[in-house]
Amino acid sequence: MNVLDIRGLTKKFGNFIAVDNISLSIREGEIFGFLGANGAGKSTTINMIASLLRPSSGEILILDRDIAKQSRFAKMNLGMVPQDLAIYEDMTSYENVSFFAGLYGLRGTELKDRTEEALQFVGLADKAKSYPRDFSGGMKRRLNIACALAHKPKLIIMDEPTVGIDPQSRNYILNSVRKLNEDGCTIIYTSHYMEEVEEICSRIAIVDHGKIIAEGTKEQLTATITDMKDIRIEVKSLTDVPADQLRLIPGVRTVRLDEMEPVIRIHSDAAVDNLNRILKELIASGAEIRSVEEQEPNLETVFLTLTGRNLRD
Amino acid sequence: MNNIVSIAVKEIKHDFRDRRTLLFMLAFPIVLMLILGLALTNAFSSNVKLGEMKVLVKDTSHGGPLADAFTSFTAELKKSDIHFETIKKGVNGLEEIRQNRYDGYMELTDSGISLYGNNQSAIEGNVIEGMLKAFTDKYNAVSAVAKVEPAKVSQLFVPSASANGSYIKETSVNANRQPGSMDYYAVAMSVMIGLWGAMSAGRLIRSEIVQGTAPRLVATPVRRSELFAGKVLGSIVQNFLCVLIVVLFSKFAFGAYWGEHLGIALLILLSEVVMSVSLGLGVSYLFKGKASTGILLLFVQLASFFGGAYFPVSVSGTDMANYIVLASPIRWANHALTELIYGQSSVFSAAWPAISLNLGLAVLLLAVSAVFMRRKEGL
Ligand SMILES: Nc1ncnc2c1ncn2[C@@H]1O[C@H](COP(=O)(O)OP(=O)(O)OP(=O)(O)O)[C@@H](O)[C@H]1O
Ligand SMILES: [Mg+2]
Repeated sequence: MNVLDIRGLTKKFGNFIAVDNISLSIREGEIFGFLGANGAGKSTTINMIASLLRPSSGEILILDRDIAKQSRFAKMNLGMVPQDLAIYEDMTSYENVSFFAGLYGLRGTELKDRTEEALQFVGLADKAKSYPRDFSGGMKRRLNIACALAHKPKLIIMDEPTVGIDPQSRNYILNSVRKLNEDGCTIIYTSHYMEEVEEICSRIAIVDHGKIIAEGTKEQLTATITDMKDIRIEVKSLTDVPADQLRLIPGVRTVRLDEMEPVIRIHSDAAVDNLNRILKELIASGAEIRSVEEQEPNLETVFLTLTGRNLRD
Repeated sequence: MNNIVSIAVKEIKHDFRDRRTLLFMLAFPIVLMLILGLALTNAFSSNVKLGEMKVLVKDTSHGGPLADAFTSFTAELKKSDIHFETIKKGVNGLEEIRQNRYDGYMELTDSGISLYGNNQSAIEGNVIEGMLKAFTDKYNAVSAVAKVEPAKVSQLFVPSASANGSYIKETSVNANRQPGSMDYYAVAMSVMIGLWGAMSAGRLIRSEIVQGTAPRLVATPVRRSELFAGKVLGSIVQNFLCVLIVVLFSKFAFGAYWGEHLGIALLILLSEVVMSVSLGLGVSYLFKGKASTGILLLFVQLASFFGGAYFPVSVSGTDMANYIVLASPIRWANHALTELIYGQSSVFSAAWPAISLNLGLAVLLLAVSAVFMRRKEGL
C-alpha cells in the first residue's frame, strides 16, 4: 500500500515557482529521504503534505485519500516535525507533548500513557517536568520529535530534525528514526546532510529548484554516474596547495579543500587519466602528500554531477 | 469543544507563567493605585466640613433689577449658613478680608458685582465664587428676559420649592457620596487593565508564529475556528482574572469603595475585556507583524491617558481633546462605573450603554478577524 501519493504538485509564491510539478509515491515501511540544497523546495513540499500550505495545483493522497477532501483523516495519520522548533518554552516537556496529543483527541489515561511513552522514546522521561528553555539544542530537537509521536501516526515527516546539534544527540535521533520505522512507521526525512540520508534512508529523492531530478535507492543513484570519480588526497598542510592550478587540469570538475583533516577532494571525469598530472602539480608546489585514494561515487558525487554544485557551500 | 478548552487552558497557563504579564497586569496597576491614590488624596477630598461662612457686602448701586435679584439671592443663601453682612461706614472691605475676618467680600455696583476672596480660606472662597457665578449666570439669563418682559423678572428670583438651594447644588456641595482618590484610582486602574487585554490579545496569533508552533498547530486535526475560539476564550478569562484580582485587591486591601452592585461593576469590566481582546485580535489581523503591536501600544496608552486612567478628565466644552476623551473605551467604562457606584440613575441605565457598546464592538471586530483568518494560509 502507498502511504503517500503526490501527483503533479506545484506551489507558486507570486511568480516564483518553489515546487514544480512533483510526482512521487512512498510505500508503507519506507524511510524516504529528501535531499536538496537550501531553497530547493523540500520544506515547501512537506508543508503541503502537512496541510500547512495550499498547493497551487496537483493532488496529495495519504493512505489513498485526498487530503484536500478528507483533511481530518489525513491529519490524524500524520506526525509533523517542523524544521524550526515548534515547542512552548514555558510549558514542561510533559505539558508540551500532552497538549499536542490532546489536540489529536487523546484523553485521560491513554493521553498520559502515550505522553510518557513518547518522552521515553526520545530519552526525555527524566526531564518530563523540566522546561525546554533550560534544554540544550539536542534536547529541544528531541522534544520537537516527541510532540509528533504521541498520537501514533502512520506517516511521520521530519524536516531537518538534526540541524545544529551535537553528534551524540544526532546519533540518538537517527537511532530513534530507525526504531520508529521498525515499529511500522513510514518516514519522510529531509536533510542536507548527505551522510545522514545515506545512512538511514531506504529511498532518496534529490530535489533541486523545485524539481525531483533523481530518485531511487542509494545504489541505484550512484550506479547512474559511472562516468565520474572522486580522488581523495591527504596532505600535511593545505597552505601550499595550488587549488586554482588543479582546477585547470583536464577532466577536473571541482576541487575542495577540507581544513579539518587536511584533505583535498577532487571530483573528476572518470574517462580522463589525470592522476599523474594532479600529483605532479602538487609535488611541484611543495605540498607533502600522505596518501592518495580513488573513492567509490557517493551521494555527494551524484548531487554534484546532477546539479554542478556542492550540497553545502 | 474539548479542543477549545484545551487551547484556552494553554493560553491561560502561558500568561500566568509570564512574569512580564503578571508585572504589568497586576503589580503595576496595584502599585500605581497606591501611589496615585495616596499622593492625590487632598485633590479629591470633597467632604471638607464647611462651617458658617461670612460674606461682607458693599452695595453702592441705586436699586434696579440686579440689586433686587441679589437681595433674593442672599436671602436664599442664609438658609445654608452663608451669612451676608452689609458693610458699615468707614470699614475697609479688603482689609477685613486680609485679616481673615470674612470669607468673602462683594462689591455691588450698578454695573456688576466684584468678589474678593481670601487665600487662607480657599475652599470657602471657591464655594462662594461658585455660587456667585451660578447667580450671575442666572441673572444674565434673566436680564435677557427682562428686556422683553420686565414684569416677570422679580418672579424668577422668588425662591420656589423647586429652586430651593439650587445655587448650592451647583457648587457641588453634594449630599451623595463622592469618590476619594483611592476610590477613583481603584476604578481607573481596573478599567485600564481591562483595556490592556488588547495588548496580549494582539499577540495571540503572532506568538505562535514567532515561537514556531503555528505549523504544528495547523498540522493537528483541530479546526481553525476552534483554535480561534480557544484563544479568544483563554485571553478573555486570563485578562478578566487580572482585572478581578485588581478589583478585589483594591476593595479589600486598600478599602476602595465599589458601590452596592459589585456584580454589575464586574459585568461592565468583563464586557470591556471582551471588547479589548477582540480589538487586539482584530488589529493583529489588519496590520501585519510588529506594526500591530505598535498600534495597539499607542492606542492603549493614549486611551488610558485621555480616558482618565492617570487623572480625572472632564467632558465639557467642545475642543479636540474631548473627542479623544469620548473615543476612549476607558472613558465609557469609567463613566458607567462612576454612574453605577455614585450616580442616582438605575443600575440598568448606568451599565447598559457601556456593556452594549463594548459587546457590539466586540462582535464587529471578531467578525473582521474571522474574515481575515479565513483568507490566510496557515495560522
Ligand atoms: N512563504 C513564502 N513566500 C515566498 N517564497 C517562499 C516562501 N516559502 C518559501 N519560499 C521560497 O521557496 C523556495 C523553497 O523554500 P523551501 O523552504 O521549501 O526550501 P528548503 O529546500 O526547505 O530549504 P532549506 O534547506 O533551507 O530548508 C525558497 O527559494 C524560498 O525562498
Ligand atoms: Mg527547509
